[in-house]
Amino acid sequence: MSEKKNIIDDHHSHDHAHSHLPSDPELRVKAVETLLLNKGLIDSKTLDELIDTYENRIGPKNGAKVVAKAWVDPEYKKRLLNDATSAIRELSYQGRQGENMVVVENTPKTHNVIVCTLCSCYPWPVLGIPPTWYKSDEYRSRTVREPRKVLLEFGLSLDPKVQIKVWDSTAEIRYLVLPMRPKGTENMNESELSELVTRNSMIGTGLPKEIK
Amino acid sequence: MSRLHDMGGRFGDGSIPVPRNNDNEVTNCEPTFKYEWHAKAWAITLAAGALGEWNLDISRHYRECLPPKDYINFSYYEKWLAALTNLLIDKKLVSLDELKEYVSAAKNGTLTKFSDKDIKLDHRTWLAKDVQKTLGWGGPSIRDTNVNPVFDIGDKVITQNYSPNKDVSGGHTRLPKYAMGRVGVIHSYNNNHVFPDKNAHGFGENPLPLYTVEFKSSELWGESAESQNDSILLDLWEPYLKLLPN
Repeated sequence: MSEKKNIIDDHHSHDHAHSHLPSDPELRVKAVETLLLNKGLIDSKTLDELIDTYENRIGPKNGAKVVAKAWVDPEYKKRLLNDATSAIRELSYQGRQGENMVVVENTPKTHNVIVCTLCSCYPWPVLGIPPTWYKSDEYRSRTVREPRKVLLEFGLSLDPKVQIKVWDSTAEIRYLVLPMRPKGTENMNESELSELVTRNSMIGTGLPKEIK
Repeated sequence: MSRLHDMGGRFGDGSIPVPRNNDNEVTNCEPTFKYEWHAKAWAITLAAGALGEWNLDISRHYRECLPPKDYINFSYYEKWLAALTNLLIDKKLVSLDELKEYVSAAKNGTLTKFSDKDIKLDHRTWLAKDVQKTLGWGGPSIRDTNVNPVFDIGDKVITQNYSPNKDVSGGHTRLPKYAMGRVGVIHSYNNNHVFPDKNAHGFGENPLPLYTVEFKSSELWGESAESQNDSILLDLWEPYLKLLPN
């Protein structure tokens, strides 16, 4: 029996500790946070550092630089499609929730879309913390069954002849979409190009910005 | 056979909550954390996880094991906080009495009465100076083992048609029910990874071959598939799969 100690017994789920928490979520967090701080199990400076990191330093701008580099440097693109984790590490993006990266390339014939139906797996080092819609029940339930309808809600209408590949992140591989380079950008440099790369275009629910 | 988190393909959900700007255009801009308590719930979950008392698979399973009524009613970070609270109690990092004391103080607005408490950091506590290093390192799930993959790229396989966790009824698994009992093709082999079905229950890491398996949309959704041409790819561990004659 002892080896089963980690199993939650569903029959006792009404006794779950969380049922003692206050109904206001703000108070709920405050209670648990204060308790852990006072027990010395967490440090407030660590919380500040974590939040600052993902609010200000790690986000879709990282992924945009990866994409722009792949657009201008065919050798880099080859490395990126062959071993994304290493190629992304060349730009110093690595680590938590990006330990095993795979980059999937959009072409005139194939459009890729990323989802996590079981939870909210997302490539943190290149895209940051997932947006609310990515974590929503609606996106998680519908994207694998009706990706074309889902994409329409993002304003993206695909030719019926284009094959859609939906990647459901069911393990610890994290996916990034390499969108197609927009037309008319031949004279733009890497840094200008990265400004065109939207977060949604790297998830597959959008396209890069067009040149006006 | 499954739990509420396993929602791929489910009917009944409405429009995606796509953020739009004042001109009603889809926007990519929204705050990383909508409310301060979202940021706090997220950060304390990461910081408590760094104590090393549980792994990623255990924490996922705790979220999945929330009672269905709570799972449905809770917002995303409420699920995180509820699962974290249950873990803290089950792993004896805090006692139920302590929790109740702080909850009651929070309700009465007297949490500050604890603020003059002398705080001594636990030896396991994640320090701010180590945050970047730990994040950069991450938690790789690939393991060097001498297990060789059974399947080749291009092999036709069928997924298990029932909940695949052999050790625990209702146990953790990463084979979604929409892809159970379905025929797909091995798209790639991705090395050997920690097996969540074991690791989520404290039965060890048991690293096993992980494959990306491609399913035709029509195989999963039949005639109602949006396009017979589309496909869905999932990352599946070897025990979820059986070889079919090509």
